[in-house]
Amino acid sequence: MVDFSLTRRDEELVALAERENKIALKHARAADVHSIDGALPFALPHPDVAGLQDPFEALANDHEGTSSEVIAEALMMISSAADADLRDRDHAFGSLVLEEFGTDEQKAKYGHLKLAIGLTEPGAGSDPSMIRSNSRYDAETGDYVLNGEKTFISFFNIYDGAVTLVRGEPDEKGNRPFHTFVVLRGQEGVGKVPSIRKMGMRQHDLAGFSMQDVRVPEIAKLSADFAKTFSKFNHNRPLVAAVALGTCRSMLDFTRERLEARGISIDYAKGAAGRSAAEDRLIRMEALWEAAWGVTMYAKWKQTQVGTPSYDYRTEASISKAIAGKAARTITQTCLDILGPEALSEHYLAEKWFRDVRIADIYEGAGEIQRVLVAREMLGYKRELN
Amino acid sequence: MISFELTEEQEIIRSTMREISRDALSPEARRHDLDGAIGTAVLDTIWQAGIVQAQADRESRSPVSNVLVLEELAAGDASVALAVGAASGFVQAVTDQGSEAQRAVFLASLEGDRFAAGTIAAMEPDFVGDVTRPATRVLRSEDGFTLSGRKTMVPLAAQSTHFLVIADLDGASDAFIVDASATGVTIEARQALGLRGLGLGEVNFDGVVLPTDARLGEGNGADVQRIIDGARVGLAAAMLGLSRAVMEHIIPYTKERVVHGSPLAQKQKIAFDIADMRMETDAIRWMTWKAAWALETGLDATRLAQLAYTYAGERVMQIADNGLQSMGGHGFVEEHPMEMWYRNARSLSMLESVAGV
Ligand SMILES: Cc1cc2nc3c(=O)[nH]c(=O)nc-3n(C[C@H](O)[C@H](O)[C@H](O)COP(=O)(O)OP(=O)(O)OC[C@H]3O[C@@H](n4cnc5c(N)ncnc54)[C@H](O)[C@@H]3O)c2cc1C
Repeated sequence: MVDFSLTRRDEELVALAERENKIALKHARAADVHSIDGALPFALPHPDVAGLQDPFEALANDHEGTSSEVIAEALMMISSAADADLRDRDHAFGSLVLEEFGTDEQKAKYGHLKLAIGLTEPGAGSDPSMIRSNSRYDAETGDYVLNGEKTFISFFNIYDGAVTLVRGEPDEKGNRPFHTFVVLRGQEGVGKVPSIRKMGMRQHDLAGFSMQDVRVPEIAKLSADFAKTFSKFNHNRPLVAAVALGTCRSMLDFTRERLEARGISIDYAKGAAGRSAAEDRLIRMEALWEAAWGVTMYAKWKQTQVGTPSYDYRTEASISKAIAGKAARTITQTCLDILGPEALSEHYLAEKWFRDVRIADIYEGAGEIQRVLVAREMLGYKRELN
Repeated sequence: MISFELTEEQEIIRSTMREISRDALSPEARRHDLDGAIGTAVLDTIWQAGIVQAQADRESRSPVSNVLVLEELAAGDASVALAVGAASGFVQAVTDQGSEAQRAVFLASLEGDRFAAGTIAAMEPDFVGDVTRPATRVLRSEDGFTLSGRKTMVPLAAQSTHFLVIADLDGASDAFIVDASATGVTIEARQALGLRGLGLGEVNFDGVVLPTDARLGEGNGADVQRIIDGARVGLAAAMLGLSRAVMEHIIPYTKERVVHGSPLAQKQKIAFDIADMRMETDAIRWMTWKAAWALETGLDATRLAQLAYTYAGERVMQIADNGLQSMGGHGFVEEHPMEMWYRNARSLSMLESVAGV
């Protein structure tokens, strides 16, 4: 039966996330200013921010009675958003790959570490086939030797290392397969790059690393190939959408409150011709938000139906990311415009939300990449559409 | 508990309607457009499927099922979807809000085996009008009311036995059941840009004398917003069906059409428009379901209905526009349904109150 109500447990978890967010909002400006040059100089993770319960830990410990664990997770992210940025620190992407594709031995060795995901290179972002970092097997020592450069790697400078995707040695046909390796920060040959300054999401540390004859033992090589590594995106893309929706929710609430304070209330009953321009534009932005909410919930529901490792929700995951990514751009741009120049002031968080959320349509596959994926599926194309 | 799972019955409704739409509606849509009327055989087929009659059962009627029906019908012919939606909207309003006597009278008219419609008359022949503020007025008289005003874009205007007229009474919107043959009622066909099969017309009410029991719900009056909410969701569902029709037509067309050495569909602009069609139809569908769910569970649906209607209206126009563009001149000529869909998209997205769920 079609149902859009939250379970009691969903609601409890959402309330926890909302509470965290409320507290995080008080620190959001400080986090933005102080982390311009990289990682935050003071500890912000949840117990310090809220002094309450970590909502994602609460979910992990007890998801009984939720709409499903993955739906509840998305609902919570929609309710907390980037200002809290709780989850990124605890759900290291590389660690998730290790958890899913690592052997017991590998998990025993690396499982306690926080591992970033190292895919992007200066010459390879949207197109991973351009990845040039490579690995060579040294039969004498049984080590692999890695060379190359990775950039735009989230949290690399504050985590313990990364799961990184590189090319292996050419096969008989000259093709170089993809391999993944665990590379540790501070390891010999791993070059440090200062944290990268950026427009928004400043509390989200971004760095890179170089690899110069980095020797890693055989155990560092995971069984995750290209497809396996990228399959993790299906789970994650709707979550990127959810985080963006969280920020947009803050923006929409702020805009509505400010309009109401000026005597402009939103009447959903009226026809379009009866509305003021501000009212009409805000209603259209709310509609966009609802559209993105729907496709995000659907992707997560479908994931629940087919199972996380399945590929059968990849199109829905792309749809969610693409709609929310574009919605985030439009909603934040338009809300500032509705409110007028005062909204540009650093006295409010609106200008920060505008900066923060712009990344949603770029990382984990730009909107164009999601459209390539959706269109290929619809048209039965592969390489002929790129 | 968040779920997108249809019941078994809903799955059956959907596949039955999909079949009817494909086999009986799509092939006739162009003819309905040219004739300015839906064929009686088609209307009777729909009538015999029992969709309109099912709205008379307050217990079993389901807005979620109704949006499934309207999506499927509109994928075949949006005029037929709205004919069903309009007749359903009338029955729903009387079922939900009518007094016992009103229900008995009007619901009896559903018993025949030919299409018999009452429709809602809400929009007015006025530029920049707002459906929530009608200029049509009802004044109290000694033993009832007098109704004066004009309504436009009334579906099946010539075929309707009754109109549910949205009019101002004492400064608030209310609804009145008016017999199409009452003295002072004149009906004029007014063909429009799109949905030509629907037989849109203008209805003039010139001092029409109404008995007390013409007021929907009699003494208490009607909740007009509920009617508008249901209609916004119904229109969104019809826009969804139309969007899907465009998408399903454009996929094979652009894969076959070779321009500058490769199929159109392999060009990124075209492929991305097609991806957007899929993304947006999905988005409209879930918004429509959510609003229908709110209606079904008795929650305040005004906001969700407005958002679904607004979003669907923006997107269906964009989808039809891009669909037409990617067919070039072939999109502009009557040999293909695209130009009709383009006209229908603009029409559907601007109407109010004509398709209840
Ligand atoms: C804050 C942040 C965090 C990040 N975190 C990580 C991380 O943890 N790990 C990691 O590996 N990477 C990470 N990235 C990198 C991110 O995934 C890439 O930036 C992204 O994939 C785009 O690659 P690019 O920047 O090289 O852009 P390019 O590949 O140069 O693309 C530029 C633009 O071209 C367009 N485009 C690209 N391909 C196509 C196409 N086929 N058709 C049409 N248009 C196209 C898109 O609009 C795209 O935005 C992060 C980036 C940022 C900014």
